[in-house]
Amino acid sequence: MRSLRRGSRVYAVAASTAMREKLAYPGNFAGSMFTYALFVFIFSRVWAGAYSGTTEIAGYTMRMSVWYFIVAEVPSFGFGRFFWTLSRDMKSGQVAYLLVRPYDFIRYNFAEKFGGSLVEACVILAEGLAVGLMLVGPPPATASAMAAMTRPLFLAASLLMAGTLNYLLQMTIAMTAFWFEENEAFFWIFQKFSLVVGTLMPIEFLPRAAARIAVWTPFPYLSYAPARIAVAFSFSDALSLLARQALWIAVALWLARIVFASGSRRLSVNGG
Amino acid sequence: MAAIVANRLTKTFTARVRPSGRLSAIRSLVRPELREVEAVKGVSFEVEEGELVAFLGPNGAGKSTTIKMLMGILQPSGGGASVLGLDPSRERVELSRYVGAVFGQKSQLWFHLPPSDSFRLLGAVYEIDEDDRKWREAELIERFGLAPYWDVPVRKLSLGERIRCEIAASLLPAPLVLFLDEPTIGLDVVAKREIRQLLAEAARVDDTTIFLTSHDMGDIEKVCKRAIIIHHGEVVVDESMKDLRHRALSLKHVGVRYASPVNLDLPTLSPVKRTPTAASYEVDTRKHSLAEVVRALASRGELEDITIEDEPLESVIAAIYSAGSGAEAHAFGSGDGSLERLDEASSDA
Repeated sequence: MRSLRRGSRVYAVAASTAMREKLAYPGNFAGSMFTYALFVFIFSRVWAGAYSGTTEIAGYTMRMSVWYFIVAEVPSFGFGRFFWTLSRDMKSGQVAYLLVRPYDFIRYNFAEKFGGSLVEACVILAEGLAVGLMLVGPPPATASAMAAMTRPLFLAASLLMAGTLNYLLQMTIAMTAFWFEENEAFFWIFQKFSLVVGTLMPIEFLPRAAARIAVWTPFPYLSYAPARIAVAFSFSDALSLLARQALWIAVALWLARIVFASGSRRLSVNGG
Repeated sequence: MAAIVANRLTKTFTARVRPSGRLSAIRSLVRPELREVEAVKGVSFEVEEGELVAFLGPNGAGKSTTIKMLMGILQPSGGGASVLGLDPSRERVELSRYVGAVFGQKSQLWFHLPPSDSFRLLGAVYEIDEDDRKWREAELIERFGLAPYWDVPVRKLSLGERIRCEIAASLLPAPLVLFLDEPTIGLDVVAKREIRQLLAEAARVDDTTIFLTSHDMGDIEKVCKRAIIIHHGEVVVDESMKDLRHRALSLKHVGVRYASPVNLDLPTLSPVKRTPTAASYEVDTRKHSLAEVVRALASRGELEDITIEDEPLESVIAAIYSAGSGAEAHAFGSGDGSLERLDEASSDA
C-alpha cells in the first residue's frame, strides 16, 4: 500500500505542478473566457430564434437548450486542446525527455495535461454559471430536493470523466505521429464529430437513425453526458451515463496503451 | 566494469522519397517510394564506470541517434547495447532510474515556474524521499550557484542560467551515467567555461560516467579524457584525449619577423605565408627537428620576433570530419598520413 502511495505521488505532484504553471499566467484564460462568453451569447440568440413559436424541441425547453450548450462547451474549452501539446511534444522530439523517466508515460502525461486543463475547465464553468444566470436564469429545476443536492456531484463526476475520455482519445490520435508525419487531419475529423454529436446540441436533436448510431460511439460521452445531467437530471439516467462514460474510458485507455506500446517502438527522432 | 557497451549498434530509418513531377507525386500517394537511410552502421565501443567520454562527429554522423538508442528511446535495427548491465531497448524504464540526460536544445524545466518547482517534481518522479531531496537540492544549489534564481520563473532566466539548472536537475537523482547532448550550445564563453567546470566537478564528486556530444572543442578538451569520433555512422577514432592532442601537437606553426629582408626558403622547408621580412612555416615535428628549424631561421638575419604555436585540436578533428567516406575517415583517424591531409583541411578552412 505504501509503495502504491509512493508510486502515485509523482502523478499528484505532476498535476499540482501543472495547475501552478497554469495559474502563473491568469491572463492566459482571457482569450478562452471571451470566446466562450461570445459563443454562449450567440447560441442563446440562435435558440431564441429556433424556439419562436414553440416551447419545446425534442423534449428540451429553450432554457434547457441554453444551459445544455453552456455545460457541453465546458469540456471543449477545458479539455479540448490536449492533442496540440501532445502532438507538439512528439514532433519536436521533446518526447525524448518524457520517455526516459521511471514512470508510466500515459498516467504521467494524463496527470500533467489534465492538471492544467482542470483549472481552465473550472474557470470556464464558473463563467458559464454567471453568463447562464444572466441570460436565461437558473438551470432547470430537478424533480426533488435530494436530486437538486446530488446533481452537482454527478455533474462534477461526469465532467471529470468527459475530460479523462477526451484526454485518452486525443492522446491516441496524437500518438499516430509515431506512424504519420501529419496527423492533424485525424484530430480535425475527431473535433468535428465531437462538435456535432452532443456539443452544439443534444443528440436527441439529431435524426433518429443518426442518434441511434451516435450512442454507440464515444462522442456523446465527451459533452452530452455532463450536459444532459445538468439539464434533465434523473438518478437512473445519470448513473447510466456515468457507467457508459466509465466503459468508454476503459476502452480508450486500452486503445491508448496498445497504440503507445506499438508506436513507441517505431519512434524515429533523428538529429539533436 | 563497463558502464556502457555498444555492440555493432545499427539504426536504419525509412524515408519517403519525394517524387518530382505531378504524375509521380500522385503515383506516390498510392505506392510511395521508400529509401533506407543507415544513420548508424555497426558502432561498437565500451565506456568504463566513471569515464568522461566525448562522442564526436559532424552533423548527421549518428551521434544523437546512438545516444537515443543507448537510452532506450530508439530501437536499434541491429546489434545491441547494454547500459549499467541493462538492455536499453527492453528495460528503458528501469534504466531511466539510474541514467540522466541533458539535451541542450530541449528543456526539462517548467517554463513559467521557478526551478524549485521542477526539482520538486523530479524528486517525486525519481521517488526521492523529501529529506534526501532537500539535502541533495541544497548541495546542488551550492555547487551550481543556483540560489539567486532558485525562485525566479525559468522564462526569466538567461540561457546560461537555464542550462545550469538543467544540468543540476539531471544530477538530482545522482545518476550513474549522464548523457549530455550539446549542453553548451548557444552559450557565451564565460557560461561555457562555468558549465564545463561544473560537469568535471560532477564527475569527480559523484563519480558519474559522462558521455558527452558537442561540437565545441573546449567542452571536449576541458571535460573529457577520451574521444570517440563517429563519421558516416561508423566509429573512426577511439583514443584518449592525450593521444588525440599529441597528434595535433606534432604539427607546429612557426612565425618569424626580421629587421630587414632575408632569404626565407630553408633547405627542406618553405614558408606557407611570406612577406619580404616575415614568414610562417608549418613544421611536422616527426619529419623536422623544431630546434634545427629555429636555429636555421635565427641564422638568416636579425630576428625581431619568433612565435611557435600548436596546431589546434579542432583542425585534427576537422580533417577527420572532412573525409568523404567512413573508410577514408577510418584511415585518417588511425593517423595514416593525417598531417598531410590536415594541411589540406586547414588550407580549405
